[in-house]
Amino acid sequence: MIELRELCKRYGGRTAVDGLSFRVPPGRVTGFLGPNGAGKSTTMRMIVGLDRPTAGSATVCGKAYREFPAPLREVGTLLEPGAVQGGRTAFHHLLWLAYSNGIGERGVREALERVGLGDAGRRKVGGFSLGMTQRLGIAAALLGDPGVVLLDEPINGLDTEGIRWLRGLLRELAGEGRTVLLSSHVMSEMELVADHLIVIGKGRLVSDSPLREFIERYSRASTTLRSPDGERFCAVLRSRGAAVHETGNERYVVEGPDAVTVGSWAAEHGVTLYELTPRHASLEEIYTELTRDEGEYTAKGAA
Amino acid sequence: MNTFRHAVAAEWVKTRSLRSTVWTPLAIVPMVAGMALFVGVTESLQPDDTVLGGSLTGAVLAQFAAAVFGVLVVSGEYGSGMHRTTFTAMPRRSLVLAAKGLVVFTFTVLSAFVASCLGLWIGAWMLSGKGYSDGEPFPALFGVALCIALTALLGLAAGVLLRHSAGAITAVIGFLMLPGLFAPLFGDFQGWISGTSPQVVLQKMTQTSDVTAQNAGSLGAWPSLGLVAAYAVVLLGFAGVRLVRRDA
Repeated sequence: MIELRELCKRYGGRTAVDGLSFRVPPGRVTGFLGPNGAGKSTTMRMIVGLDRPTAGSATVCGKAYREFPAPLREVGTLLEPGAVQGGRTAFHHLLWLAYSNGIGERGVREALERVGLGDAGRRKVGGFSLGMTQRLGIAAALLGDPGVVLLDEPINGLDTEGIRWLRGLLRELAGEGRTVLLSSHVMSEMELVADHLIVIGKGRLVSDSPLREFIERYSRASTTLRSPDGERFCAVLRSRGAAVHETGNERYVVEGPDAVTVGSWAAEHGVTLYELTPRHASLEEIYTELTRDEGEYTAKGAA
Repeated sequence: MNTFRHAVAAEWVKTRSLRSTVWTPLAIVPMVAGMALFVGVTESLQPDDTVLGGSLTGAVLAQFAAAVFGVLVVSGEYGSGMHRTTFTAMPRRSLVLAAKGLVVFTFTVLSAFVASCLGLWIGAWMLSGKGYSDGEPFPALFGVALCIALTALLGLAAGVLLRHSAGAITAVIGFLMLPGLFAPLFGDFQGWISGTSPQVVLQKMTQTSDVTAQNAGSLGAWPSLGLVAAYAVVLLGFAGVRLVRRDA
């Protein structure tokens, strides 16, 4: 469980995080989403005690992070992937981390195996690809078998295989009852892994809701259909208040009524349908719109 | 106490697993030994110099290496952003600084002591019977090693305060050299000013003829070493406070 209460961070005159409050409960993957500069990394740095809040508090399992004597056993953190020294081997990078929290060498080998770097342990980190560096960072986060996992932009630099692997890993961690929070500025990444979404813009909370609910709340439903009787059916749909656009090749996009309604109207009028597909706006579209002018949507999100 | 032991273990792994932080302190040995050999071969000593002073000519170079080592132990982390990883693993930053200090001090003091003994052995072997007085090797050899190790701590503090390799190295080397360079401009105060330089303290310890009460003050070698220890304590304390207070 991570809990933020009215968390604020000001740098000089600039407000990076502005009264942010939310909870991240265990047992699910929570996505932490916002455009670049929205305050995600600053928030994560405050959660792990790197930056001091100007006001408010962030706690993990009811405690301030700095109070943990062996924090890696409580919270696994992936910050920017560059936060390693290139001249050191992957094994030694994890070894110092392990020793700092009283974890032995075996834990290091297990963590390397778990992220698929078992053979690369003796290689220097400086020669790693971005994807391998990310895997090393994730290994570091898992080193102490923590109940809370915080990952800042973990998908950056991973290839398709890596993303699939990470998705499986996050599911597994949440399934084991751990708290998983991962940030990203790319909505499509979240669509694949998160159960719950916390969206921020300009340091303020825009939305805090389950992924499904988020989509349903913000997306305008539409239905695509293909029919040889298009002309006739369009007239019917328009007469009942739906907006219809023809996209060519006997295809139409209907906005307003859902797919079930459109289908039954077609049956009612003996219209032949070749295809009928319900369609939601993609998360990417919703998110872009939500954060384009964050101020306009703040009140809506908080309601 | 457990936490501190873990922090020391972690910092030692960090230090020994990077080429720069292994070879910089180890380079002290060939520096001192090489200079001892050079002085022995060329007999480039004043007639009133001691064998000890001649043999440890390289100690001044070793002091620079030690300062650089102290800086690198911390500035390397700031350069790569790894300090954030460090402080998430060990949120008690003052403990991290203490652990770094212990590792830096121990590594440097051992390396510098071995270097000084080796240098003296080479010097004694090459210069004995040539009319130079021996000097007092004990406890001066310990003093030399301590002075070099304390200088490494000054480097560590500079690294924490400036967070940048080149800046911190420049600052600490300036601190070592400038008092000695500019002191002659201050007339009667020359001894007071150059006497505060850690480099001059090292020269007092090695008993070279370059150092006189007139140009380096009348404070003896050991009280002067106490002064360097005081610098290290004050600077590290200040660095510790800054480290704890600022955002990482």
